[in-house]
Parts: sequence; structure tokens; C-alpha cells
Amino acid sequence: MKRVLSAAVVGASLTVLAGGIAFASGGGGGGTPAGGGGNMPSASSPSYDPSIEYAKAIAALKANNYKDAARAAGHVTDVVPKNPDGWHVLGVATAGANDWKGSRRAYEKMVKLAPDDATAHAGLGLALANLKDKKAQAEDDWLKAKAQACGDSCPDAARLKEFTSTVEAAMNPAAGAPKPSAMLDRSLLFGGAKAGDAAYELAVGLINDRRYDEALAALGKAQATFGPHPDILTYEGYTWRKKGDYARAEAYYQQALAIAPNHIGATEYYGELKVAKGDIAGARVMLAKLDRICAFGCADAEELRRWIDAGGDPQKH
Amino acid sequence: MDRRRRRPAEALAALGLASLVLTAGATALAALGDAPLRAMLWVAPGADPARALGSVPTECLKRPADPALAARIEVGRAAFRTQVLLGGQAARAGINCETCHRDGRANPDFHFPGLSGPPGTADVTNSLFSTHRDNGIDDPKPIPDLSGAKARLKVDQDLAQRKLEPFIHGLITEEFDGPEPTPAVLDGLAAYVRALRPEACPAQAREPFTVALLMADARRALQAGQERIRAGDDASAVLMVASARSRLGLIDERFAAPALAAPRASLRAADRRLEAIQAVLHDHGPDAERQIAAWLAASPRLEAELAARQGLSLFDPARLAQAAKRRLPG
Repeated sequence: MKRVLSAAVVGASLTVLAGGIAFASGGGGGGTPAGGGGNMPSASSPSYDPSIEYAKAIAALKANNYKDAARAAGHVTDVVPKNPDGWHVLGVATAGANDWKGSRRAYEKMVKLAPDDATAHAGLGLALANLKDKKAQAEDDWLKAKAQACGDSCPDAARLKEFTSTVEAAMNPAAGAPKPSAMLDRSLLFGGAKAGDAAYELAVGLINDRRYDEALAALGKAQATFGPHPDILTYEGYTWRKKGDYARAEAYYQQALAIAPNHIGATEYYGELKVAKGDIAGARVMLAKLDRICAFGCADAEELRRWIDAGGDPQKH
Repeated sequence: MDRRRRRPAEALAALGLASLVLTAGATALAALGDAPLRAMLWVAPGADPARALGSVPTECLKRPADPALAARIEVGRAAFRTQVLLGGQAARAGINCETCHRDGRANPDFHFPGLSGPPGTADVTNSLFSTHRDNGIDDPKPIPDLSGAKARLKVDQDLAQRKLEPFIHGLITEEFDGPEPTPAVLDGLAAYVRALRPEACPAQAREPFTVALLMADARRALQAGQERIRAGDDASAVLMVASARSRLGLIDERFAAPALAAPRASLRAADRRLEAIQAVLHDHGPDAERQIAAWLAASPRLEAELAARQGLSLFDPARLAQAAKRRLPG
């Protein structure tokens, strides 16, 4: 029996508040990143909810308060260093503050994590150009090659063209010309909650329709709005798993669990991934965790138990 | 009117799937994450909390003289009351048969955002709950009263026709993407539904929702589990224990106040013992029946401890109303 995209996050109810997204424990799951847990303050560093910090960074960017934006974005990258969106916002914020070295570092990280992301290459190109670094040319070349491969009619054509011209303007500043915007692709970051909602809803529908590539693109847009969010990350992991890319799926589950260690959906799906990879012992660890966090039992634990018993997807065995 | 399915944004939010879809302005759902009672997620805005959350319809169960049939009915009754019977989104949201069919009746207060039209309706041919039966149309239907006149129900419940069993099987595995039920569970559900009869309805239409009711449900589920163990059917027994745990969970969420930490701890300890029994059953280990018996023997003491503090919990109508006021705008 086929199965719908399961509730990645039923256990981790979330709440969008006026100021952003806040976690709330639901059904024994969810929860904020681990806090001090009773340690002395000197023995623990502050922990941040990356979704909230991301929202703070976006709000600060909107107010052109780049220093605060960079500080909040730095908190995001501290918690989820493998998530490119945090580095993206940090790159934008530092560029806005004319901290081009900081922007270069952020975009270098982003390029490493998302090598095919045009925004990352454009941001890096812009930072390098402002630092008079000749490596900016390589980024410009990458963007032009991408634009050429894309052609005039592809969905990203206009965006790639804008990126290329922005980087080239920074490389060859005309006397008296205004400096190019440090923001680059504002539409992604500033699409707002409605745009993020729409992208998220679209992604769920696309996943259910098994249109995984389009779903990932939609999830990317949602994440650009909401930042590293365990629900979105879990869906990304689920989608990559469905595409058969277990390594990427695992990376997303790990990111989700780094943010919300007791995220029921991410724990279940990570366990299922482990079963799919033949790591039954690892899956049992996930199951034990679910049994611990699901007081009074939960369907997620039972589903993972069925996976373990069947040695794979129980609907197929 | 465009009857194509609206995107299930509200439903996703209610499931906790996509609270992202909530915006600052969506106050009705904006604080779902801290809902004190899970059932608040599917109670219609504006519903009377005392009725919807503080009371339940009385059950119209015709108890048979035949002990074997009575045992089958008890298996079905317990399965009817646990989300673990179902799968997919519904199970993960905590929904079970009894969510919509309160004590085997209808549920006029049920309103699942994105799935319901008017209160008391649900669109079960929706991709949110089912990968099989999505018809792409927003067509919520009234939830039928399973204890109403049999002639008014969709499926012929005549035992000789055997139409009810495949219907219920389809509900579990297709409409709600659940796992294959054991034969005893499927048989028990059909027996339970057949035993819901209008002539068996008590004179009093509703009764308060109490610790005693839920503890009684838990005990009955565990006794059904013992019967299944004796029959060598550990798989069904696991579900019976899951049902008991679900009922304890409904007590637990009403005992969240700090002042109730001690009885809540007792409740959770009792749940852990049931979890251990489930593990034994899962591994076909010995002694599960005796462990259930021990649990049952200790349960009156637990119930007394809980009942003594019930007035400080959300079983108390005034406290419930206060909590619902925060949670059920409308």
C-alpha cells in the first residue's frame, strides 16, 4: 500500500507568531533546541532557535539594520552550520553593512553547501568584486554559463541575467554610478510569510503527487522565507529519501534534529532511512527515542517499529 | 462554486504539519502549539466547551449474552479508541474512530480545519488523510451516528451479508492509510459497530467526561488484551494495550498543572508499565497476561489518586471553560 507523505511534524506543533515562528511541544515532540539543562551559565553557551533568529534577521534587514541582521544570522549559522539559508542571510547582512570580507566568507560557505545555487555564486561574486579580488570573474563566468545553459525562456533567465549584471557592475564600477544592491535576490528573502506559506503548501501537494524536484524547489522558497525550520528540513529529507539520495536525506534529518532534538517526525523518518540503509541498530536507537518522547504511545513509533520488523517499508514487504 | 479541493493549508496547520501556514492574523489557530487538549484542534470554533470537551454521549452498546461475542465486541471497542489502528496523517494527529464517532455516536462539534464544512462534517476523500481516496473535491459529509437507526447507515450491517467487514477494512487501510488490521481486530470492530443500537441508548443522553470513564475504558481494553493473549494473538493484544495507553494519555493532558505533578507522575509510571507489557507482547515474551493482571489490580489505587485531584485538573468544568476560552475563539 502506498503511503502519503506522513506527518513529518505532527509531534512538533509549531506556532507562527507575530514576530516569527516559535516552537511548542506537541504530543511529546517538538521542543526548542536543548537549553542549559540545569548547567551553570558558565558551562553552557546560549542556544538559539534558528527559525526565530532567522525571522529576526529578516526583520532587521527590512529595517536596513544590517548589524543586528548579521548578529541574528550568525546565531542561525551557529546552530545549523550546514544550512545554506543561514549563510545566505548572513552574506546579505554583512554585505549591507559593507563588511565584504564577512560577506565573502558567508557566501563561500553557502557555495560549498549549495554549489548549484545561483544566489550563492552571485553573492560571492559581488563580495569578491567589492574586495577587488580577481576571483570575482570566476563567479561571473559561472553565472554566465548558467544563464547560457538556461536560455532565455527558462524560469530563472531573468534572475540569472540580473545576477550577472550586478556582479559585473561591481567588477567594473562606472564613475558616479550607484553601488549595486547588496541584497541581490530580494524576492526570495522578502517574499513574506504569505509567499512562504504558499510555497510550503505547494510543496506538500507536490510531494503527495510525487513531483519531487518541483517540491524541493518549493521547499527551498519556503525555507528562504522561514529559515532553517525543522518541519521544512524534515520534508526536504523525506523528499530526498524518496528520490533515493539517502546521504542528502540524512543531512536534512540531522539538521532538523539539531534544531529540534525531539522532533517526532524527523526522528521517525530518520529511523526509517536507517532501516532503508540496513542500519537496523541505528533505527532501533531512533525507535527507543520515540518511545521515550512519545508518552502514552504514538503512531510514529509504531510505524517505525513496523519498518524495523519488516526490514524495510512495511507496505512493500 | 468551484468544488475543487482547496489546498489544505488549514488542515496542515491543525495537524501541526504546517503551522507555517499560520500568520499573525490567524488568531483562531495561531496558538495551536500550546493547545492544552489535543481535542481542541478539532472542536468547532464557538462550540460549548462544557459540552464538546467536558462531556460525552452515553454509549448505546447492546451487550450480548454470549461471552464470546462480548469478548469480540470489547476488542473492537478498544480498537475503536486508539489512533494506532489508523495510519498516515490521521494517526499522527491523534485521531481515532471515536474522535468522529464519540462513544459510537456522531460528533456535532467536530470541525477539522480544511477537512470539515459545517461542524459535524468531514471530507474523508481527501489526500491529507488518504493516498487512495482523494477525489479532488471539497465534499465534506455529515458524520453518521453509528448508534442511529441501522437503515439510515451507508453500509448494510446484516451479519449474513458480511458487507461491514470489507467496508471497515477499507476505512482503515485506504481512507486512513492504516496498517493491515489483524483478523480479530477487524472482526471486533464489525462486532462493536453492529452492537451499537438505538434501543440500547441510555435515557441520559450525555455524561461528564471523567477520570473514571477513561480508566474504565483503559481497563476494558486491557481485559480485551488478556483475552487476545489467551487466544495466542499477541498482535491484537498490542493494540489493546495501545488503546489503554491512549486513554491514559487523555487523562494526562488534563493533569498538566504543576500542582498535579504527583498524580501525573503516577500516571506516567503506569503508562511505562504498559509500554513494557507492549514490548513483551511484541517479542512474544512470557508473562504479559500476568503483568496486565497486576496492572489492573493496581489501577483502582491509581484511579483514586487521580480522582482525588480531578477538581484541580481540566476535568473540572470551570477550569476547562477557562482553558477553552483561551483556545476556542469564535
